[in-house]
Amino acid sequence: MLEARNVTFSYDSGKRVLDSLDFRVKPGEIVVITGPTGSGKSTLAKCLTGFIPTSIPGEFSGSVIIDETEISELNLMEVAQQVALVQQDPESQVCTLQVSDEVAFGPENYGHNQEEIQSMVDSSLKAVGSEHLTHRRTFELSGGEKQRLIIASMIVSQPNYLVLDEPTSSLDPTGVLQLRTILEDLKKQNKGIVLIEHNLSAVLTIADRVLVVEGGKIHPFEQKTDKKATKSPKSEEIGDPIISTQNLSFSYGNQRVVKEVNLSAHIGEVIALMGSNGSGKTTLLGLLGGLLTPETGSVHLTNKSLESMNAKDIARVTATVFQNPNHQIFERTVWKEQNLVLESLGLTSSDTLQQSEALLKRAGIEEMKDRNPFSLSHGQKRRLNVSSSIVHEPKLLLLDEPFIGQDWEGCEFIIDAVAKTVNGDGAAIIVTHDPVFVKEYCSRAIFMEDGKVLLDGEPSAVLERLESLGHEEYSMEVKLR
Amino acid sequence: MTRFGYVQNDSILHRLNPTLKLFSLIVLMIGIVIYPSWRLSGLLLFGVVIGFWAAGVKLRLTKGRTKFVILFSILLFLVQILVTTNGILLGYIIPQIGPIGPLFSITDFGVERGLAISIRFLLLIFSSMLFVSVTDPTLLAHSLTKLRIPYRYIFSLVIALRFLPLFDLENHAVRMSQRARGITPEVTGLRKIITTIQYTFFPLLVSALSRVDSLSMSMDGRGFGYSRDRSYLRKSEWKGRDTLFFILTVCILAFCILLAMDYFPEIAIFL
Repeated sequence: MLEARNVTFSYDSGKRVLDSLDFRVKPGEIVVITGPTGSGKSTLAKCLTGFIPTSIPGEFSGSVIIDETEISELNLMEVAQQVALVQQDPESQVCTLQVSDEVAFGPENYGHNQEEIQSMVDSSLKAVGSEHLTHRRTFELSGGEKQRLIIASMIVSQPNYLVLDEPTSSLDPTGVLQLRTILEDLKKQNKGIVLIEHNLSAVLTIADRVLVVEGGKIHPFEQKTDKKATKSPKSEEIGDPIISTQNLSFSYGNQRVVKEVNLSAHIGEVIALMGSNGSGKTTLLGLLGGLLTPETGSVHLTNKSLESMNAKDIARVTATVFQNPNHQIFERTVWKEQNLVLESLGLTSSDTLQQSEALLKRAGIEEMKDRNPFSLSHGQKRRLNVSSSIVHEPKLLLLDEPFIGQDWEGCEFIIDAVAKTVNGDGAAIIVTHDPVFVKEYCSRAIFMEDGKVLLDGEPSAVLERLESLGHEEYSMEVKLR
Repeated sequence: MTRFGYVQNDSILHRLNPTLKLFSLIVLMIGIVIYPSWRLSGLLLFGVVIGFWAAGVKLRLTKGRTKFVILFSILLFLVQILVTTNGILLGYIIPQIGPIGPLFSITDFGVERGLAISIRFLLLIFSSMLFVSVTDPTLLAHSLTKLRIPYRYIFSLVIALRFLPLFDLENHAVRMSQRARGITPEVTGLRKIITTIQYTFFPLLVSALSRVDSLSMSMDGRGFGYSRDRSYLRKSEWKGRDTLFFILTVCILAFCILLAMDYFPEIAIFL
């Protein structure tokens, strides 16, 4: 059994992130841990895997016990042979360029011979259904393939327990389905699994228990029914086109990733942009936001060609928010970051600053306005990204997977922001895999495959059609928010 | 956008022993420092370009980074011409027009010095690019381990090579995010230059540091540093062709040394 007893932890002698917390997971059990952004879930994962207090400084008390052995009696490498941690971003955990090298990395460090390593690599890749990737380059893999690779490289040393931090965050529905199968197989092999996850609907079907970390404590999950559903941003009236494309194509090198896309978004529309990883959604968003130059075709924003507009003209009308929050933070304080667009577009005034402060409050990060934005949690950074991008009230929102890593309040803030834009003569195009959001909050869904628009229509109709095309994973998740 | 990093292929250059390739790169650098002739550097640069062709790696002279390198080398050449006034006068950049000029003399020594510096710069960059493109980092790690270099140091090189393409992509993502906020790089005035640098390097630095944290946890979590030695699944080999290439490399180095010591005056006049 992997157990945390009376664990208390604080970074830099500050506020207690974990406060006398007790937790246990048995072999052959899948425990899902959820909770608000910044509640200490990832900190708990690091305690369970020995990184706290061994390599991450802070004030730690209590004990973590692995199969009756105190973790403090083991060094980090010995702990790693029994408990493995799969972190949130698979890209950052890959240290070699070939799949077989990556899986072999652990056994190589433990000094196994060449034949043993080969056999361990083969069996681990087989366990995650990725034998076909053996000779592939790691940087060429999709998000789902990378996630499976990291799991393979962690289970190769046969740990008894596996802790996964937000494992579905970079996966499309097909990847989530594959991950669930892998985890169920590992459970059958008597592995104890701890899943830290915001997106409960993705993992609930395989969970034996669901727990919540909040205020440094852990307690059983109860579905909250008293929360008011956020008002749908869908508008009854659809107006003129705000953006349209004609035969839009784009290539990276010789690889064409967007192929002759024709679409338009009208005032009042909330459009869900769906599709597998690598289908061209993010690139299309970049083209619509004037951030990439089309190879062929054109984009018209409010009846003007994007080619004739400069970056500031485009930024006045659009707000593009990408997935990685660290790439979109430029200033030294949250408040400066919040007002960066106002400053760059020359829109700073007492009125706009007042509105900006109100927006920051709605985002739930007003109290942190003097802090360095890079010190915020992942979810808070993403909320700041959205908040600082819409402070000038743009007419078109282009959001790439905005709900990843967000708790209920974070999702609510983003949905409210979309509603405000759409009801103020604007439109929103949102890359998402969440069928609940698509059905309840979007007026239209577009499904992309291999750079092309495969389906475009009313959300329920698109999801039904996807089911009939064999993509039932895009509509099978249960509602939990 | 072009990707910078190892390019998988099965050319003769790819198959050479990785340590030998690193040794050859170092020899090339030492050679042009010992005998800094623009003709010899040009000859070696020609050899490197042939190397790209033989390795099946596209150089893409007119795109992105490579284009910048070439433009910068041209700038180096022009600056050298402008600042070097001694030597035989060949002409002026701005001839005499009425009462104005002539301005900015061009001398044979200035041209020679400009060529030497700009070609050496191109050789330095392109040979390093070729090395990175044809060297599998994992095999490089193994072959350097055989030289008794501690694997902890070697892996910092492997990881740098692994992350090169990623940082390339991140730089692209940061620039897109800047444009999305209406921020365009500005270089008119010191304050604007500092802001431009801040807006580019802050996000890149933070992203790099957070990746370093994740990566070090990931490596520690897989037993990196468990013992003084480690084993390897894929191993580098030394074959007959490596011996031949090694002899050729040593001969080039010896040739540069002898040229510098004026042992071959009849050849030196052509180089």
